[in-house]
Amino acid sequence: MNFEPSEDQASVLAALDQVLADFRAPPVEPVASAYSQDLADLLAESGFLDIAREDGFGPLDAALVVERVSRSPWAVETAATALVAPAAVLPAGGGPIALLEGKAGGPARFLPVARKLVFLAGDHAEILSVRPEQVAPVESLMAYPYGRLQSPEDRVVEAVVDAVPIRRRWRVGLAAEAAGAMAAALGVVLEHVKTRHAFGRPLGAFQAIQHRLAMAAETVESVRWLARRAAWSDTEADAALAAGFAQSRIAAFTYDLHQFSGAMGLTLEFPLHLWTYRLRALAGELGGASIQARAVAKAVWGDAA
Amino acid sequence: MEFGWSSEEEAHRQGVRDLLAATLPPDWEALAVHGPGSDFQTDYSRTFCPLLAEKGLLVPNWPAKYGGQDAPVWRQFILGEEMWAANEPRGAQYMNVNWIGPALMRFGTADQLERYLPPIREGRAIWCQGFSEPSAGSDLAALRTTATPVEGGYRVSGAKIWTSYAGKADTCFLLARVPASENGPAGKSAIVILLTDMSSPGIQVKQIPALIGEGDIHEVFFDDVFVPAENRLGEEGQAWEIITYALQNERTGIARYEFSRRMLDRGVARLKAEGRWADPVVQERAARALMLCEAARMLVYRVVDAKAHDLPADAFPSVARWAVVQADNGVNDFLTEFLPDGLIGADPVQLAHHQRAIAAGVASGAAEIQLNLIARRWLELPGEPKR
Ligand SMILES: Cc1cc2nc3c(=O)[nH]c(=O)nc-3n(C[C@H](O)[C@H](O)[C@H](O)COP(=O)(O)OP(=O)(O)OC[C@H]3O[C@@H](n4cnc5c(N)ncnc54)[C@H](O)[C@@H]3O)c2cc1C
Repeated sequence: MNFEPSEDQASVLAALDQVLADFRAPPVEPVASAYSQDLADLLAESGFLDIAREDGFGPLDAALVVERVSRSPWAVETAATALVAPAAVLPAGGGPIALLEGKAGGPARFLPVARKLVFLAGDHAEILSVRPEQVAPVESLMAYPYGRLQSPEDRVVEAVVDAVPIRRRWRVGLAAEAAGAMAAALGVVLEHVKTRHAFGRPLGAFQAIQHRLAMAAETVESVRWLARRAAWSDTEADAALAAGFAQSRIAAFTYDLHQFSGAMGLTLEFPLHLWTYRLRALAGELGGASIQARAVAKAVWGDAA
Repeated sequence: MEFGWSSEEEAHRQGVRDLLAATLPPDWEALAVHGPGSDFQTDYSRTFCPLLAEKGLLVPNWPAKYGGQDAPVWRQFILGEEMWAANEPRGAQYMNVNWIGPALMRFGTADQLERYLPPIREGRAIWCQGFSEPSAGSDLAALRTTATPVEGGYRVSGAKIWTSYAGKADTCFLLARVPASENGPAGKSAIVILLTDMSSPGIQVKQIPALIGEGDIHEVFFDDVFVPAENRLGEEGQAWEIITYALQNERTGIARYEFSRRMLDRGVARLKAEGRWADPVVQERAARALMLCEAARMLVYRVVDAKAHDLPADAFPSVARWAVVQADNGVNDFLTEFLPDGLIGADPVQLAHHQRAIAAGVASGAAEIQLNLIARRWLELPGEPKR
């Protein structure tokens, strides 16, 4: 047991922070979602997203990268490339990768910018190459670029692989991404309640607000450490548990953060939605918290008597 | 960063489990139903703890010069997990090991160390903690029990409440207040710690019938009780510093989530036996309770790890405690809904867990006080102005 980052991890994260330093400020324009091709390119070139493939590194290091990048207001694809691709035996450098489950024509995060699509269909997954002209962008409130395949029936499947490792790493990535977005969103609202005054004192001096933010802090920490453990152990149970826990907390967590931001929190000018609307998108992936919970039950206690 | 156990730690855990299996009486589950503070368990600790001491498992975390082994923090913590999950056969004595002993080592006189440490490390001392009063619970600094200085010591008068183990304790770690004099200390700086012999004339102990198990909590009345000056721990005015330190040592606390986790396993086994496990609703709800346990586990481990790395104390233990309270209650809620008969005669262990769980958010500081601490010290939110 050791909760401190190793020297290698600390230096990777410090180098990553240098890259992210230029992407701390949210976009100046009021937009529902902020995708940064520059950040995506920088991350791809510098090899951060291939860290799980390096000697002496693994999924935990990839999850740390995903978590860290997810604190940025700019949404870029990290989890599929860093965590899912190595488990799906996809070669390095093939990102961005979109992940999709359910209907082949359904909306997928990052599909408009993706080069690959991993389509999870029951117990197997299809791997497809995608070209921009095959994708119709989907407008949404969710703070990711979404798109759908124009004609899913014509899709050309390049490979069919086992769904189990893909679903597992997807869950780990989802939890790590949620951890980063939650930490950043909480930071925005803490700043807000410390500086905005009402009734002669900062909002953050009211116990009603303090207690719910304290609970939010527990959520951030729990999601963070469950995600890291899941990445480290790389087991079905831990992965489903981390993703399910994160998803089960997203509704109340995002509600409270918007609530304490007042009407300002409902505008595009206030950056909070750049994280909360990623979280709300994650809440329903892979069937949501209830499906993750059933997967946990199955992995931990088995199906039958 | 890694989240596994070394083979040495695993062997240690197995050793503790084997010892428990070989030592506890076969009907332990039924006997231990009233919890660590019950008369039965307090008495049992007087045979169990000396055995642990003999095997070097009572105070391994203590420095060698005080009879310990300077054992790594995790070693002691693994022991604590196994003990709490077994309904704490150390009874009241876990408290001595975790914080009373260490507080004495830090602030006690040579004479106090000589008097109090050997019985603790040999497993034959029962202490109680006399902090709370009828008008001073969360607001501990409002305590009113007086310690009036007299020739050779103090005369103590007042009342303590919710005192665990008081019915069987030899010594009380007692907080009292030196009455205000003109220009004398007031507030927190007037509090003194008196290591009080519970057989002193003028002390009366009354058990409080409660939902949380027979014999757990008591009222303790002090009627002009003489406590010699050499029993004062630290200086007058130093008490707050000492209890802050002592409770910091408690920051790893009790591994409540471990008992909850094992109760869930036990509940699932019963549901399977009754043919009810196939229901996806049952599976989902069990897993949601498990998520709370595992979150609490990770946060408590983060606290233990900080201690193992000798990092300075921060407010994270309060974050962990909030998660622990959620876990205990989450498991209890699941069991109460899906296995209600466990609380109506069918499972004494479930009842014992229920009784621990309903106290989790009150004992050793209310859950809302933890939220206050998280807000102020972890999130650095401003204090609410006094009205
Ligand atoms: C099983 C058990 C064993 C115990 N053993 C001991 C022992 O051995 N020795 C000992 O000294 N004490 C012991 N206690 C007492 C325990 O420390 C107190 O119960 C606890 O500190 C709360 O104090 P109180 O019960 O007076 O509640 P109060 O202080 O009256 O508070 C009641 C409730 O009000 C709320 N509240 C209070 N203050 C605030 C605030 N500032 N902000 C928001 N909400 C607030 C909380 O919800 C709290 O639960 C024990 C208690 C239990 C349940």
